[in-house]
Amino acid sequence: MVNSLRRLYRSGRWIEWFIRILLALGSFAVFYPFLWLIFSSFKTGADIVRIPVTLLPEKWTLSAYRMVMDPNRANLPRAYWNSTLVTVGTVITILFTSSLGGFVFARLQFPGRNLLFYLILSTTMVPFLTLLIPLYIVMKQLHLLNTLWGLWVPSIFSSFGIFLCRQFIYGIPAELYDAAKIDGSGDFGIFRNIILPLTRPVLSALAIFTFLGTFNAYLWPLVVLNDENKLTLPLIISRMANRFGGTDYQAVMAGSVLVSIPPLVVFLIFQRNFVRGIALTGLKG
Amino acid sequence: MQAKPTVRLALAPSRQQQGFLRRLRRASPLGLLFATAVTIFYTVVFIIPFGTAIWLSFQNWDFLTKPRFVGLRNFAHALSDAYFWQALKTTILFSVVEISLGVALALLLALMLSQVRGVTQNVFLSLYYLPVITPTVVTVYLWSWLYRPTGGAFNTFLSAIGLPPQPFLASPSQALWCITAMVIWANVGGASVILLAGMNDVPESLYEAARLDGAGFWQMFFRITLPMIRPVLVYQVVVSVIGTVQMFDPFFLMPGPGFSTRTLALYTYQLGFQALNLGYGAAVSLIIFVLLLFATVFQLQRWQVRWEH
Repeated sequence: MVNSLRRLYRSGRWIEWFIRILLALGSFAVFYPFLWLIFSSFKTGADIVRIPVTLLPEKWTLSAYRMVMDPNRANLPRAYWNSTLVTVGTVITILFTSSLGGFVFARLQFPGRNLLFYLILSTTMVPFLTLLIPLYIVMKQLHLLNTLWGLWVPSIFSSFGIFLCRQFIYGIPAELYDAAKIDGSGDFGIFRNIILPLTRPVLSALAIFTFLGTFNAYLWPLVVLNDENKLTLPLIISRMANRFGGTDYQAVMAGSVLVSIPPLVVFLIFQRNFVRGIALTGLKG
Repeated sequence: MQAKPTVRLALAPSRQQQGFLRRLRRASPLGLLFATAVTIFYTVVFIIPFGTAIWLSFQNWDFLTKPRFVGLRNFAHALSDAYFWQALKTTILFSVVEISLGVALALLLALMLSQVRGVTQNVFLSLYYLPVITPTVVTVYLWSWLYRPTGGAFNTFLSAIGLPPQPFLASPSQALWCITAMVIWANVGGASVILLAGMNDVPESLYEAARLDGAGFWQMFFRITLPMIRPVLVYQVVVSVIGTVQMFDPFFLMPGPGFSTRTLALYTYQLGFQALNLGYGAAVSLIIFVLLLFATVFQLQRWQVRWEH
């Protein structure tokens, strides 16, 4: 034992192990709150307010989960459906408009192209807060308040997405476009058959960020939606916190666990693309 | 007479001779279609709302009666409004502390992560990234549970190591820092992944050359890593300023007592949707816009970073 430690010290690799231990301690600190979330959701109402508190439940129970899945008490299944609809719809729309927009602004010729592109880019300078009140008024005029369409419409196009795809498509040799053009392909055909498959890496990164952004969105859905059966998951959680927060906090925890699962699953599936995506999107911005 | 210019155009199309109409005729139909759609979209969700915000900031309107023109009174009111100054102070305090602590922690974390490789790095990266993908509502309700003055996890921990319990969110002087700590916890993984990606871009040959010259670890960090990732670092700070100033969810969902954690973002929301003082709300939101614009331009000038497209 002492000998092997000495060998470790002499080889200089102890720094590596020291860093590993630090990282492990840090990740435990980061993960620790989640333990409370998970274990508390399996407690009973009496157990969760017991003093002194314990991390683990006294008696494991699914009653909190039953409570939040009960349509008469918290419309969680309905909110799941609403969130899925909005998130999937928004992600597909943004992937399509961004890749097409990137292609249009990178390769096609039409008057005012660059002016329009820089106008689109400049919209990102205005914070969403400034647009919040007037955008609400616009949605009211369009009769989109209290509908899921009201969440979808403002994100049909994404300035960030168009910018990202344009940068990426610039990197694809222009000869590819010219050759297909000479062969008699139409612009949309070139986009669908040549450009779109090549844009896959940047689109998967964009898909992840759009998914997380839409699924976790709070402020805009809060302003637009009102009816209990139209709410998205983050909104239903805060309704639940108001309803159960006083006496049945374990229900809030159970709801929170259920709401965290979809982003977690998406993250685990695309985990490998995350870092590459960030390298692709975050830095070159 | 008619045919001649056409022939010349076909041989050598010079830009001056291509009038707008001619270029329009030669333009790609798909391009024009997309341009039309995108123009309509940004007119509806950006130009009209932005124009409305500017127009509203000169009006007095409560959503019900007719809007009344009041000139610059909304902006003048902000200058003498103690609530506005308090919100501005809270916003700046939160933003400065969150960014300096958050970026320092993220830098440290990225540095440590860059020293381990392969699967180990991936596993740690995923663990540190979990709070980033967790919905903010979940984070907020989880942390308010941990912050509870009696029976909360943090106070249980404090009493276990012999320290007096703290009121946390129930105290006007602690609430803002409780929220800041939570936001740092939620964001640090994201920032460190970006910084790590920047560190991975630094050519290995620089380190090899430095090692041959006998440079130590910290020397390499300060002389090579830090200068090389400077653009990434600046980008991270600029984006964090914009993000923290606009942050809404935590302040709305776990407010401290009174106005102790009311930021400009929350104030705008309350003016618009609760006090129904739309004109003043629009004015405050435009002030946020101008402040952010100045802050961004100032930072980019100061740190001399050029964005290349």
